[in-house]
Amino acid sequence: MSKKRVTILILLVFCLGLILAGCPKKTVVKEEPSVAARKEEAARMEAERAREAREREAREREAREREAREREAREREAREREKAKEELEKSLIAKKTPGIEGTVYESTLLKTIHFDFDKYDIRPGDAEILKENAAVLKKYPNLKIQIEGHCDERGTEAYNLALGERRATSTKNYLISLGISPDRITTISYGEERPLDPGHNEEAWAKNRRAQFVIIAK
Amino acid sequence: MLRSFLSIVTLFIILFLLIIPAEARVYLDINAPSFVQLPIVLPKWKSLGKTPPSLSIKVYEILSNDLLLSGFFRVVDYSKLPPSLREKEGIPDPLLISEWIHSGGEMLMVGDVSLEPDTLQVILRYHLVDLIEQKRLVGKQIEGHLQNLRYLVHRISDEVIFQLTGEYGMNTTKLAYVMKQGESKEIFMADFDGANVKQVTKNQSINLSPVWSPDGKKIIFTSYLKRNPDLYVMELHKEGIHRLSFQPGLNASPSWSPDGKKLAIMLSREGKSEIAIIDSNGTNPRFLTKGHGNESSPSWSPDGQWIAFCSDRSGSPQIYVMDTNGLNLRRLTYEGNYNTSPSWSPKGNRIAFCGRVGGEFHIFTIEADGSGLRKLTSNSGHNESPCWSPDGRYIAFSSTRTGSPKIYIMNANGFDQRALTPSKGGESSPTWSPRF
Repeated sequence: MSKKRVTILILLVFCLGLILAGCPKKTVVKEEPSVAARKEEAARMEAERAREAREREAREREAREREAREREAREREAREREKAKEELEKSLIAKKTPGIEGTVYESTLLKTIHFDFDKYDIRPGDAEILKENAAVLKKYPNLKIQIEGHCDERGTEAYNLALGERRATSTKNYLISLGISPDRITTISYGEERPLDPGHNEEAWAKNRRAQFVIIAK
Repeated sequence: MLRSFLSIVTLFIILFLLIIPAEARVYLDINAPSFVQLPIVLPKWKSLGKTPPSLSIKVYEILSNDLLLSGFFRVVDYSKLPPSLREKEGIPDPLLISEWIHSGGEMLMVGDVSLEPDTLQVILRYHLVDLIEQKRLVGKQIEGHLQNLRYLVHRISDEVIFQLTGEYGMNTTKLAYVMKQGESKEIFMADFDGANVKQVTKNQSINLSPVWSPDGKKIIFTSYLKRNPDLYVMELHKEGIHRLSFQPGLNASPSWSPDGKKLAIMLSREGKSEIAIIDSNGTNPRFLTKGHGNESSPSWSPDGQWIAFCSDRSGSPQIYVMDTNGLNLRRLTYEGNYNTSPSWSPKGNRIAFCGRVGGEFHIFTIEADGSGLRKLTSNSGHNESPCWSPDGRYIAFSSTRTGSPKIYIMNANGFDQRALTPSKGGESSPTWSPRF
């Protein structure tokens, strides 16, 4: 018990000694730095500068690398765009019709859809085709299209004009529902005037009842 | 005093008996249910003086064809006459009329022609004689330039028809129609007898649904020239065409108001075809229908109060009638599930239309109140686009009975169906001019 008390006492004295010895030393460093300390300080600052320089360099390198990566990405994108554009261009068939103003383009990327006799609603299978067409329109945001509504030869000319108009409109509305801007789509009805297949049978009629896409601006 | 009054009254009565019945007599009541063709004897015409014999032969051909095409007559031409009469030509002496009594007809139509060689004026003289009563009904002459020979003869035929039916014939009218030319469709016209076929548009576009103005001076039609079905007008005596109505979408299937001041048309609104009325210069569109279905083929009634049209608002195309404000709507057709292309008779009582029976399209007529449905074509391919003659006695339409569609004309009761021209086909959408 008394041994423990002696130990604590010794420790307290030691601590006091340390405090008394420490305080005057500190005052000495502040007022009059030794040569060694100055050297040490210079070295430290030098190291600091070097570290900063390294960091700056690293940052710059990183920026350069990022820039390069970005440039590369841009170039890749441009190449892809170019490729897509090429792909589009390759898909186009310029169509100039005598007696009808202007040149339009048909594209194999935009697929034709078909209708039942005397109907203008979009059939489920054709809805899938329109989704693909909508994806194409999103890929090429500059495209403006005209949807042509067509009918088979049966029925009267005027009624078929009205029916073709409705087919073009329901196709347009479906594309709008998929997020395509209405400003990019115009419609025209050709009624029964432009059959794809001149035949007079169900096979020909089924082909002719259609909504077809032409590009009016690219 | 009383005596002289009575004698005056008696004189008037006698005059009435003499004049009025003779003037008012109608030999052919074409509206009668049992219509029988009137046999008319047509001896050779004579070329007078130095007039070339070929001229009277030409006149005879045009005249006998006109009378035949009218559907009113059984023409007894000179080759069918007894030998003693076969070679007789020109206008007989009135005293010799009796020798024609047993020639096989009830009427006798005779005439001659002379040509003035310097001016190329022709003079056509003709007599129409009632052989039963042995009485001359007409004795007239008509003259004009040799160039207009066909027209002059048509005028004579019309006069004969007027004398016997109470209304002039259709021989001076023309029909315009659409003719397929490769990929394009152009507007053509021809005389009622199929002569003088002439192309009137040459723009290589799709030209559709021509309609003749009530005054006969213009044709309005739809064309895709500007990549939209726009309405154009063509003045027949001027070059060029003028764009009338060009709203985005349909500007199609025009029908004139009887006074020629307005047009009922198919006009798109929100991507759907509606019936609208515009002024004849293309301005002031006014919609009559409001989004109930696909509306097509307006046709104005002759009193200007009603418009017949086709609508699929019930689920299938049917014929409806509404007033010119789009009110008082009523449905006319209930038989069949595809009735289109109404055309209102200029006489006001019937509406012709195209209806599907089985797989074929045929021409029907129906009373404006929906009664009295009548089918006019059968076993003859597809028959479409009916259109009335201005006298309401004939209907022109297109038919595929011989293959490619051709314009046909029939009597309003469906009799005497004949092709307008000997073309190979590709014809559609007839419209009838007024008399010229």
